Amino acid sequence: MKEIKKKRILLGKMGLDAHDTGIRIVAKWLSDAGYEVVYGGLYNTAERICETALQEDVDVIGCSFLGGGHLFHTDRLLTQLKEKGIEGIKIMVGGVIPPADVVKLKERGVSLVFTPGTLREKIIEGVKSIL
Amino acid sequence: MMKENELFDFYLKGEQLPNYKSLSEIELKELYSREDANRDEPPPAEFPYTRGIHREMYRKRLWTRRQQSGFGTPEESNERLLYLLRQGMTGLNIDFDVATKLGIDPDHPLAQGDVGLQGTSLATLEDMDKLFQGIPLDKVSSTLIANAPYSAIILAMYVLIARKRNFAESSLLGTIMNCAISQLVGPTYESGTRFFPVEPAIKIACDVIEFTTRHMPRWNCININAYNIRETGVNAVQEAAFAFTLAEEYIKRLLSRGLSIDEFAGRMAFFTSAHIDFLEEIAKIRAMRRIWANLLKKKYKAKNPKSCFFRTAIQTSALPLTAQQPLNNLSRAAIQTLIAVLAGTQSIHTTSYDEAYSLPTEESHKLAIRTQQIIAFETNVCKTVDPLGGSYAIESLTDTLEEKILALMEQIESKGGFTSCFQSQWIEQHLNNARYDYANKMESGEQLSVGVNIFREEDEEIKVDIFRPSEDMQKRRIDYIRDFKEKRDQRKTEKSLRLLYTVTRESPNANCLPFIIQAVEDGATLGEISDTLREAYGFQVDF
Repeated sequence: MKEIKKKRILLGKMGLDAHDTGIRIVAKWLSDAGYEVVYGGLYNTAERICETALQEDVDVIGCSFLGGGHLFHTDRLLTQLKEKGIEGIKIMVGGVIPPADVVKLKERGVSLVFTPGTLREKIIEGVKSIL
Repeated sequence: MMKENELFDFYLKGEQLPNYKSLSEIELKELYSREDANRDEPPPAEFPYTRGIHREMYRKRLWTRRQQSGFGTPEESNERLLYLLRQGMTGLNIDFDVATKLGIDPDHPLAQGDVGLQGTSLATLEDMDKLFQGIPLDKVSSTLIANAPYSAIILAMYVLIARKRNFAESSLLGTIMNCAISQLVGPTYESGTRFFPVEPAIKIACDVIEFTTRHMPRWNCININAYNIRETGVNAVQEAAFAFTLAEEYIKRLLSRGLSIDEFAGRMAFFTSAHIDFLEEIAKIRAMRRIWANLLKKKYKAKNPKSCFFRTAIQTSALPLTAQQPLNNLSRAAIQTLIAVLAGTQSIHTTSYDEAYSLPTEESHKLAIRTQQIIAFETNVCKTVDPLGGSYAIESLTDTLEEKILALMEQIESKGGFTSCFQSQWIEQHLNNARYDYANKMESGEQLSVGVNIFREEDEEIKVDIFRPSEDMQKRRIDYIRDFKEKRDQRKTEKSLRLLYTVTRESPNANCLPFIIQAVEDGATLGEISDTLREAYGFQVDF
């Protein structure tokens, strides 16, 4: 019988913001839900996230921002993915994101945005819906 | 999350509470009575200071209203500081951006996108001068939210602007946070180790303590950030035990340098959290005063009563604040501020209701100050000292928390102390477990949060003003620092940095402060001084 490959998700923080409570909880929830989670830790550049994503052959990249750097860093990540010709990896973003910026992120191609207080089932449903 | 039919059941059952536990899992009794707290605690200002460190407390002097502030350029932050002082803020509490707190300049590749976001960007002596424009350094006390080792550079800048304005160092009032482990986002391993090695950072923190102890007698030499420890998700017992065992690391190192306990202990301070568990949080602060007093007197043989004072600033915890129905946070923060007041704190930062969206706007910052002023001037709770003292429940919880905190402190000591537990990632494990546990409790409904897992409004339209950094701020900062580096006297700067490098390498016991002060004066930036120290300790930032 063919083994079903677990979907793989890279979670990590970009830039200097080190608030990692939320992303660690999400990592645990997704791994409990049956996904293979690669935790990339803090202080990643867009280049490093892309390298790790390629090495680990992930289906989704998720980054969290609690310091206001979400638009800048997400843009860098999207540009980097494009430059490297990486296609098919879905992007999700979480953290302290003002409502108007949720719209902007989605316009730029981010598949999912989760703000504080999002429940586990919403996150798992969301991830399932984009894979 | 409750489904609608479950929600109606919930109402009909008389809104049964999910359990009778405190946030740190203490089972609350149906009724507390005399046998739960059958003794009289000594009055305030008497050992072990459970009821307060001063006899008259707020009757004589209210707590300091000390709102954290800082964003964008030093000039922009200065404007906000002056605005807050005009609203009745009585002490400054200055936060720096993450680049500053990690010892890198705005033009560093890793700082791109994060300059000036979570605090003020600051890299040069000129910056510090602009930040404090129009502020009397001998009258207003300043808390500088800078962690070791960069605290040494920030303090050097502060001392230099004071000298320039002819204020004696001995007249300066304030606090440098100065902890190497608890400051950034609490004691998480990666944030505490990626930009500087741990032991040298603690060594430099001790240099700062030695320097302020000798030259700045009205200055608080270190402030253990129990608040940030708590914000990782741990409970009240862990908050206190981690903070105390961390404080002991500094005490031990300072004693082994030959300082006496009474030289510095009276200037050690804490920054603790007021979460939303009303009774437990008040009891926690009372227990912490008692534990600290006993620890200093019995274990460290302090003779001066002031060495035994547990002095603490309190911030109302942001953890219970929600992105959902954000105005609810005003009510939460008011209750938490009342906790801080009834616990007998020395200063308060009330967290703004827009915390889950951005840094505070002028309006939300002002509301936070007004919350404190309403409690101070309208409620009369400040007109008698420790009004909850003698409450059976409060006294019993104080005892229970003391017992649990002491037990955890003993466990950490038996593992070689806090630093060793931090390095081995034992602390990290505890933080992560606490985070998962908190998340699970929110999921299961064991912990309730109005607007999140109870009384949630789906499709809620959020109306909240968002603070935005000014246009081009980051570019202006980068241009500034490049320009600054070009225009200074390079030879002078390089000479001072070389001297700092040599002293750090060749005289490991020398206090680095005089050399850092010299380097700042000679035009070295915060990032360059940090890099010099890293290099001298054979450390490289990996990115």
